Formats: sequence, C-alpha cells, structure tokens
Amino acid sequence: MNPLHEYKLHLTRRQLFGRASLGIGTAAMAHLFTGALPVAANDDSPNAKGAIGLHHQPRAKRIIYLFMSGGPSHHDMWDYKPKMLDMFGQPLPEEVRDGQRITGMTSGQSTLPVCPSKYKFTHHANNQDGVYVSELLPHTATVVKDLCIVHSTFTEAINHDPAITFFQTGSQVPGRPSLGAWLSYGLGSTNENLPAYIVMHANSKHAEQSIFARLWGPGFLPADHQGVLLRSQEDAVLYLSNPLGVTRQDRRAQLDALAAINQAQHERFGDPEILARIKQHEMAYRMQTSVPELMDFSGETEETFNLYGPDSKTPGTFAACALNARRLAERGVPIIQIFHRGWDAHGNLVGEHGDQCKDIDQGCAALITDLKQRGMLDDTLVVWAGEFGRTAYCQGNLTQENYGRDHHPRCFTVWMAGGGVKPGITYGKTDDFGYNIAHPDGTPMKPQPTVDKWTPGTMHIHDLNATILHLLGIDHEKLTYRYQGRDFRLTDVHGHVMHDLLL
Amino acid sequence: MRPMRTTMILLLAILHGSVFADDPTLDFSRDVLPILADKCFVCHGPDTKDADLVRLDSYEAATRLLSGDTRAIDPNHLAESQILVRIRSVDDPMPPADSDKQLSAAERATLERWIHEGGKYAKHWAFITPQKPTPPVVGSDELTNPIDAFVLARLQEISVPFAPLADRFTLARRAALTLTGLPPEPDQLQAFLDDARPDAYEHYVETLFASPRFGEHQARYWLDAVRYGDTHGLHLDNKRGIYPYRDWVIRAFNDNLPLDTFITWQLAGDMLPEATLAQHVATGFVRMNPTTAEGGAIPAEFQAKNNFDRVETIGTVLMGMSFVCARCHTHKYDPITHIEYYELLAFFNNTAESPLDGNAYDYAPVIKAPANQEMWDKWLGVEVARDRLLESVAATAVVKAAQWNEIDLAAKLQLLADPGGPLKDFSEHAEAVAISQKMAELEKEFTTTLVAKELPEPRETKRLARGEYDQPVGEPLKPKVPVIMGSLPTGTPANRLGLARWLTSREHPLTARVLANQLWLRVFGDGLVRTPEEFGLQGQQPTHPQLLDWLAIELQDSHWDQKHMLRLMVTSRTFRQSSAHRSDIADPENRLLARGPGYRLDAEVIRDMGLWSARLMQPFMGDEGFKPYQPSGMWEALMHPGSNTKNYIQDHGDKLYRRSLYVYWKRTSPHPMLTLFDAPSREASCIRRSRSSTPLQSLGLLNETQRVEMSRKLAERLVREKDDDARRLDLLFTLLASRTPTELELRVCRSLLNTARERYASAPDDALGLLAIGEAKRDEQLDPVEVAAWTQVTSTILASDVAILMY
Repeated sequence: MNPLHEYKLHLTRRQLFGRASLGIGTAAMAHLFTGALPVAANDDSPNAKGAIGLHHQPRAKRIIYLFMSGGPSHHDMWDYKPKMLDMFGQPLPEEVRDGQRITGMTSGQSTLPVCPSKYKFTHHANNQDGVYVSELLPHTATVVKDLCIVHSTFTEAINHDPAITFFQTGSQVPGRPSLGAWLSYGLGSTNENLPAYIVMHANSKHAEQSIFARLWGPGFLPADHQGVLLRSQEDAVLYLSNPLGVTRQDRRAQLDALAAINQAQHERFGDPEILARIKQHEMAYRMQTSVPELMDFSGETEETFNLYGPDSKTPGTFAACALNARRLAERGVPIIQIFHRGWDAHGNLVGEHGDQCKDIDQGCAALITDLKQRGMLDDTLVVWAGEFGRTAYCQGNLTQENYGRDHHPRCFTVWMAGGGVKPGITYGKTDDFGYNIAHPDGTPMKPQPTVDKWTPGTMHIHDLNATILHLLGIDHEKLTYRYQGRDFRLTDVHGHVMHDLLL
Repeated sequence: MRPMRTTMILLLAILHGSVFADDPTLDFSRDVLPILADKCFVCHGPDTKDADLVRLDSYEAATRLLSGDTRAIDPNHLAESQILVRIRSVDDPMPPADSDKQLSAAERATLERWIHEGGKYAKHWAFITPQKPTPPVVGSDELTNPIDAFVLARLQEISVPFAPLADRFTLARRAALTLTGLPPEPDQLQAFLDDARPDAYEHYVETLFASPRFGEHQARYWLDAVRYGDTHGLHLDNKRGIYPYRDWVIRAFNDNLPLDTFITWQLAGDMLPEATLAQHVATGFVRMNPTTAEGGAIPAEFQAKNNFDRVETIGTVLMGMSFVCARCHTHKYDPITHIEYYELLAFFNNTAESPLDGNAYDYAPVIKAPANQEMWDKWLGVEVARDRLLESVAATAVVKAAQWNEIDLAAKLQLLADPGGPLKDFSEHAEAVAISQKMAELEKEFTTTLVAKELPEPRETKRLARGEYDQPVGEPLKPKVPVIMGSLPTGTPANRLGLARWLTSREHPLTARVLANQLWLRVFGDGLVRTPEEFGLQGQQPTHPQLLDWLAIELQDSHWDQKHMLRLMVTSRTFRQSSAHRSDIADPENRLLARGPGYRLDAEVIRDMGLWSARLMQPFMGDEGFKPYQPSGMWEALMHPGSNTKNYIQDHGDKLYRRSLYVYWKRTSPHPMLTLFDAPSREASCIRRSRSSTPLQSLGLLNETQRVEMSRKLAERLVREKDDDARRLDLLFTLLASRTPTELELRVCRSLLNTARERYASAPDDALGLLAIGEAKRDEQLDPVEVAAWTQVTSTILASDVAILMY
C-alpha cells in the first residue's frame, strides 16, 4: 500500500475510534434511551462531550442550595464580635478599613460608626470548639453539629446585580451559564418524571432587590439546562395543566396521534431529534401527574409539619419550599435551589432581619434534621449563602434598638452540610470587627485570589463553586463548554477545592 | 475490499475534512495551527512571558536557538527538531504527561508530517484577506450558481451526488419560512405549484423578498446578535426607550440597505455629514449594552464594563472574535495583545452617555424618532420633499442668506419658512412652511430612542491590568485596530466612523466573511463556519473554505446586497435538496451539505405560524413591544419594588396577536414561551441559538393560553371555510406543511377527531370551556362541539413536527 494511503487510513481508524462514541448519533441515542446525556446539539467541542459525566466518585448525589438574596448580615447571625460592643458609635478605625472601597451609598457619610449587633449570641457545641449563634436563629443553632460554617467567605463585587450574578454564574457580567445549568450539563437527570434542575422562590415580606432569570439560566449552554421554576401560584410548573375542557384521556389521545404523526415524519426525514422529541412529549405527560403528586403534601405526617413549623403548610413560604426540597431530593432531582429575597438591610435591619430569619430558621434546621432522619444527609449537599455580607459600620441612623448595614464583600458567612463536608466545624476567621478575613491570631489578611494560589483560611466564591462541583463528582477544571472559541468553565481560570472542609 | 476502501475514504473525508484522496498537501492554517493553538499555546503561545520558554506561534520563534544547541524546529536538521523529539518522548513528553491537553495519535502524525515537510508557518486563514476563488469545474448540469459548484466539488471527491430535489411544496415551505418566517399563503403556494415556467421558483422567491414579513424575520437574527432588549438589563431592569432602533433594522432589511451602510450607520451614523434621523437612530446599536444604576454602583467600574461589553459584542458580531481573553491579558491563542484590546476599546470610550443609566427611559443622549413604520413612511416622505425643495433653492438662497452653506438642513428649512426671514419672498417659501408644519406635526408623535454621541473632549483610555477598572497602567492609548487585521484605511479618522470604514473595506479579512457566514446560518441552519461567533484559532475551520471566501467577495462585489446573497443561497441546488438523512453517507451534522436544511424552528416562528394559520396575526409594524398572555407573578417574583417593570400588564385586543418579534423584551425575565424554545435573554450577544428539546416545550405547545386560542381559532377557520373533514384536513396540512395530508395522517386525524366529537357531544360544557380560552371571541355561529373537537386536532398538529420543524 502506498504510504500516504496507509497514513490516511491510520488516521481514519484513529479518528473513528476516537470519535465514534462521541458522534451525534450516539449522543442522540443515549439521550433518547436514558434521558441522561445532555443533547449537545451545537456543541462543537469533542472535549466538552468527553467531559460530560462524573470525573470521580461523587460524595453527594444532589444539592439543595438555599440562597439568601440581598446579603444577610453575618454580624447579626453568625459572626460574634463582642469587642465591637465597647466601641458602639465610634468611628471604625482607619487601619481596619484600610482604604478599601465602599459603595456609593455610604461613601458620602461623614462617619462610619461601629455598629455592634444588638442580638444575643449563645455558644453551641459542635464537633470542635463550638460556635456562637445569634438569637435570630434558635432552630438552626440546634443543628450546628451538622453544619460546616465558613466565616471567611469573600467575593469580588460590591453591588447586588454583579455580586449575585458572580455567585451564581462565576462572572459579574451576564451571559454565562448558571451553576445549576453547569450541574445539569454535567450530571443529567436521574428521574424520568421530573426535570434535573428545579428552582423555587420563597416568599418574603421584604422582597427588595431584583433577582434575574440568568441566575438559573443556561447562558450559552443548550436551553434544556435552564432551571425549571416550581411555582406556588397557578401551575407549579409553567403550562402544566391541560386547558379547561381537556381531560387526561383527551390529552392521551392527542399524544398518541402526535406520536404517530411524528413517527411518520421521522420515517420521511430520518432526523433522530424527532424521536427524542416523542420521548419529551411522553415525559411531559408523566410530569402532569408527577408534579401534582410532588406538590401534594397530604402524605406528610404532622410530625414533619411540626418539624418545619406552621409555615410549612402555606405554599410559597420558605418552610414549604424547604419541605418540598426534601421531597424533590427523595424523587431523585439532583439540583434544587431556593431563592429567598429581602436580606438587603440598609436601614431597618432589626425589623427586616427579624422577619427574614423567622422565615428561614426553622425550615433550614428542619431540612437538615429531616434529611438526616431519612438517611439522606450523607449524600445531599446543603448550601446556605447570600451574595455578600454586611458592614461593621452603620448605614444611616444608629441607635441601640435599630440600625442599617451596607454591602460587605470582604468577609461573610456561608454554611454547608451533608454531602461529604465535615459536620460540626467552623472554618476561617474574621478580625474583631468582622471586617477583614483574619489569621488565626486575629490580624487581618487580604487574600488576593490568583490562578495558582489559594489562601488557606479563606474561601473565595470560585473556591466554593469548585468545591460544590467536586462534591458532586465533577472536576471544575474539566467541565468545560466550547463557546466563542474558548473552553468556558464555571470557575473561569480560578477556584480551588476546599479540601479542608471535606470528610 | 473495494467497498471497504470507499467507505474508509468517505468517512475520512467527513471526519477530518482536510486530507482526502486527491489532496495530499498539508495546509498549515487548516491542519497544524489548530493543534498548536489547542495543545501548545497555553504555555508556548503569544502571551508567553518566560524568556526561557520557547514560543511556537511563529517560525522565527520556533527556530530560535535553545539551550543545549537545539531548536524547536531545526531548519537544517528537521529530524532533530525538538518538537519531534518531545512529542515522541516517553520520559519528558510534550504536552507534559499531567496536562489535560494531550495529543491524539492523529495530531502527532500531523505535526510530524508538518515538521518533515519543513515546518513552515502561515497566517491563520481568517486573518488573510479573502480572494475570490474561481468556482471549480464540476461538469454537471445541475448547478444554479457557483455555490453549487463548490458544494458539488466536495461531494464528487467522495463520489456522491446531490440529494434529490425536495418536493416542490416542501421547497415552497422551506423558502417561505427561511425568508419570511411564515409558511406560504395557500393561494401563493398554489400559484407556485401551478406555475409551469422553468424559473417558477425564482419568481416565487421574489414574492417572498417583496413581503414586509421578510425584514421582520431577518431582523430578528440581528436583534439577537446585538442583544436588543426593551429594558436596561441590570438591577432594576427598568424600561429603556430604544424600539425605534428595532423598527429601523426591519426597515433597513426590507429596503435592502447595503450591509456596509447598515453597519456604518449603526457604528457611526451620528458622525456622517448632515446625518439623517435614521442614521442617528441606527446608532442605538452602540447603546445596546445592558446598563445599571444600582445604588452604590461605582461609575468608573461601569464605564469600563459597558465598554468591555461593546468591544466584545462588536467583535463577535462583526469580526467573529470576542477578544474577551485579551481584556485581562494578551491572548493565549490569537495574535491580539492586551494593549490592542484597549486600543479597540478607545473607539468607544468617547461616547457621551453617563456610565450609569439613572434607571431612566430617556437615558441620554436620546433623540425623538418615529414610533412605528407608518410614521417612518410619512417622515421619510417629508424628508425627501424637504431635501428636494432645499436643493432647488440652494443656488439662489446662498445669495440672500450668507449663512446658507454653514447651516444644517433643519436650519435651512427654518430659514426658508421664516415669515420674517431673508427668504420669505421666495416662491418656495409657502412649501417650506407646509413642510415645516408637517414635520412638526409628525414630531409630536415621535418617541424616545437612545443614540450615540461623541464627547467633545475624548476620555483618556489606558490599559487595565487584569481588566480591573481601578488598575489603569501605561501610557494613554489612541484608538487603533489590531495589527493582525490590517490598519485603518488611509485618510479615515481614528474614531467610530473610521472603524466602520475599516470593517467594510475590501482589505478587512473578517467582516465580509463573518456576515456571509451569518447569512448562510440563517438559510441553512448552520454556518459554513460552525462556530459563527468565533473565527479565531479556537474556532472551527469552515466546512467549505473556498465557498466562504467566494461568498464574502461576492457580498462585497454586489455592493453588500443582502437580498442578492440570500437569493443566491435559496435558489441554489444545494438549498433545494431533499432534507432527508441519507443512507449512502454518514454525515449526521450535514457538514458536506449533502442534504437540505432541517431543524426545529425558532420560538418566534412557531408562535407566528400558529397565529397566521388561525387568521389572528396582526400585520401592524412597529410601536412599543406588546405584552401577550403570561402566567401571573413572573416579573413580580423577581423584581425590586422600585422597578417599573415589576408588574406585567398584559395587553388586550389586537396587540395580543402581533408578530413575536414585537414581544416586549425584558432582559432579566424574557417571555417564557420564547426562552422555553431557546430564545436568548439578550443580555449578551447570540449569533446562533441552541435547539433543545424538553418536556416543558410539550407542555407549552399544548397548554399555553395563546396556543389554545390559536388552535381553536384555526379550528373555526377550518370548520367555517371547508365543508367536510377531508377538505378541512387538506386545508390544515396545506397551511402548516404546505401539502395535503398522507393516508396515515388522515387516518390518525380522523380517529382523533371522532374520539373528540363523541367526547364533547357528551360534555358540551367542556367544549364551551375549551372555546373560552384566550380573549378572541368564539364564533357563535359554529357548533361548539364540532369546533372543540377540531381544536383537539389543530392543537395536536400545531404541536407536531409537521409544523414546528424546518424540513
């Protein structure tokens, strides 16, 4: 054989073996029969296709992500700073602020008075030295033996829109896929009757600050990875119910006709996508029973309702969403997210955070307890976070009874539980003003995230996201999607898995 | 043995796209550079700072003497080149053993072959100004135009013919959907089917180009690309006054404004001499980036972010490169430096708007412009009359009014119409008064639109370290284009106008190719470059490089005539092929173009088709985006209490039935029936939409209020216009599939129909319930049981792949 031909044939075989398993046909077939593989219809990167699926044994099979939109105050909930009490109303020492930027909302204030929390903190035992929790969280305080509390979380943006977008998409500027969409792309669905990624919006009396569809949107990933909203009004899933005058039997007849017609279309054109769509119509039909079944809490015991508190019987409350999160987890939905708004306490923190904590406290504790009782906490990762913390200094009028706090990205508290994280620990430390992340001896440090270096004792948002992916069996550096000629990642070029937090 | 070998070669051609039986040459740009870029440049690319690391992005660098008296490429001893040694090394391999980017055996073979053949470099194809290739001679009588020669030449390499022609009715539907986003009207279809002229199809296509629906449908792709939205997009996501821009785009496409002009007006209409209203409106393009006025936002930060967004969008849309890597550092793959990014940014750093939008609808600078196409018609008519009038008095006016040549058209008109002015005795005075009044009258109805305007004193632009707004470094930068793409044409200013002239110059290596590719994407469902947003080293090679270049030059040669280009494409033999998947070749992605286009239609087309078939669609063009039915609480659940888009206030009456293009676009929460079917949020540029398939789409298709409404109105139409089931089904399929139903379809539909008839006859209240959905009144002359039964059929067929696919 002529060497050139040999060369080409060699190339051909290689490419066949190298790519056949990644070809469209196979991808479409796999999708058709398992529903598990995301359709990468316009995915042009074999690398990205190769990256789909788990990279290592996952510690968690699912995630329940409780997101407190607006920026909950670490000062009043989690990060006890008794020394601030002695400095009530005095200017925040210059060396503490150290010239760091502050938002346009307080940069015009003549002073930045130290604002200690008015709430009482109590020490609770955990698996280390214990942890102080404020009286705003009496229920959550009872489960701290299961929580991994990170006091030294920090982020890059100082205003809501960029900060929350950064938190959920890894970029301050809109356009990237959300964390949930990345997970959906990486994990696929394990449930034939429910979508892989479900989002709930919990009610709040103080629902200020916008949230955006991009926070659960697909960005440039195929649109089937967008989060599906589970609503507490009208249809739980958009357009779930048949129209008036159309029964389930009527719909069955329609779908049978539809399948026959689509099948014939497939025979004419041979497009495998048509067969995939027939399956999707059938899944929709199943969802019309599986979703109402999901939303029907009548099978829950009084004991469970008591655990989640009286709110849990009212649809749309955080407690009801938390209970629903457990129900979704039981049904094999891998990505569950609750957004709770109203944490942006610039003026009336005491009034607002009082209500906010009441909204979520019992539900959070109940979720942990409930999952644990059912043996599900070990493989369910629960994350509680907001886009940033709040300042040590007061915004507006400071009194003993009430005050406000501005946005603070330089340190705040995030907790995780279950799913392979160490239970009953705290991690990281802040200075005496809850203003800077601090060394163990309390001296401030100024972590600058770099590509190569992680600063021990700190957790950047990219680190948090890398860790979440890791626990779910995904290498954050390998889950990529080729777009605009670049292999995009949730963590951009950053992120370090927080091994210190892992079991 | 013979069949086996044919198969192998055939697969080879498909999979590799470069090395096939008749083409033994290795093309550096096509075959080698992508490997180097993907596997080596991370460490050995243009941004390599470590002086000890060899750079592999140029021949000069790669042949440099290294320690140990070696060279990465040794021109005198090719076999000793370090590239060869290291990629084969077991002990010390390249890429390193722990790298994620390993070479495949085929890639290693390609690199080896390249070195053995001399290791010569060439520019990446997309950075070389295209030349018009001569269409290959293919010896076929099947060709309509040169497109087919390029496509067939490729097919002949693997000895396969074009697919058979699509059925005439299928082709009619395909062309109409491609050009106008709607199927053909039944009489239009019939006229075409009855037309025995050999060029009947060409005649048919012209009727589609002439339809105002053409500009609407084509504009929608552009609006995705430029991220058009009716809200600011960030934080409060308040309303923004910008829809005259949308209407201008539609008009430009319907009027076939040359694409170079189209681009120039958008980038720099305000800088043209005697800029017209339309030219100002077009600069809304520059203002299309999402903006914020969040409390506490830092202006300098958003000045930078707004500009990043502009550079990257304009790069993506007009140059096929987002440049996004170069925002923070010199590009790892493409020859774009960190400084060049900021030089490009400097073109836009001089626009007059504040970096924060104040949450204002009239986020300055703004002008007033016509609010719909009727108003545009009137305005442009008066403009023509004015210009003619002023032209006619120019010679004499200058004698009477010394300032004549110094003032703009509006001032001239004012002067001529001034009852106390120097020109009051001109015979044209009365007409000037009339035109002035007419203009003033029209202007009363005008609406606000954001435009671009230059600051008198330029802002200083500096490179930002790591893209951080508060880390400017180095000397102030002047606007300049990336060296790899040439330079501003001589005599053009270094501003937005110069930028537009450069992009549309014949020397520019990318813009014409990128636009030609976008047109191809609209027609064939995929680009010739399958990564239409990325033509750089990390993008895909064109499936038909010569065809792409031919189209790019043809676009320029035709004076950037969009309709001409689309006409070439839709009349090509390539386009007219059957779209059935072929059993004689394995080409699932249709990279060979050996079959016609087939894909799921876009959200807007799916909705419009239904409204149109039900005779519900309102043809009115323009005005503020309308708000169709939407599940309650969707905006409220997300929005800040201070947002003026917190409450979704649904429209009523005719507005509900407008084309989907005019749906109000709230960027942080676009209409769910659009996003369910892959519409982007328009927060960022989108050149190609994904085409997903989900159960939620099924629910939307069968249950959403407007879907049900259009289904029952279509059912009424069938019942009203045709006498029996067979004729009604004929009409149904003619509307949605441009053909009569098959035996199987008839059987299935009749069975569904009869089941539903029985059902609703026994439950007439259910029939009435179904027919009460949506605001369109039920035709009470018709039997509700019959209409309800037909509604079950129409909603099924409207949701079926017969309707929602291009084929």
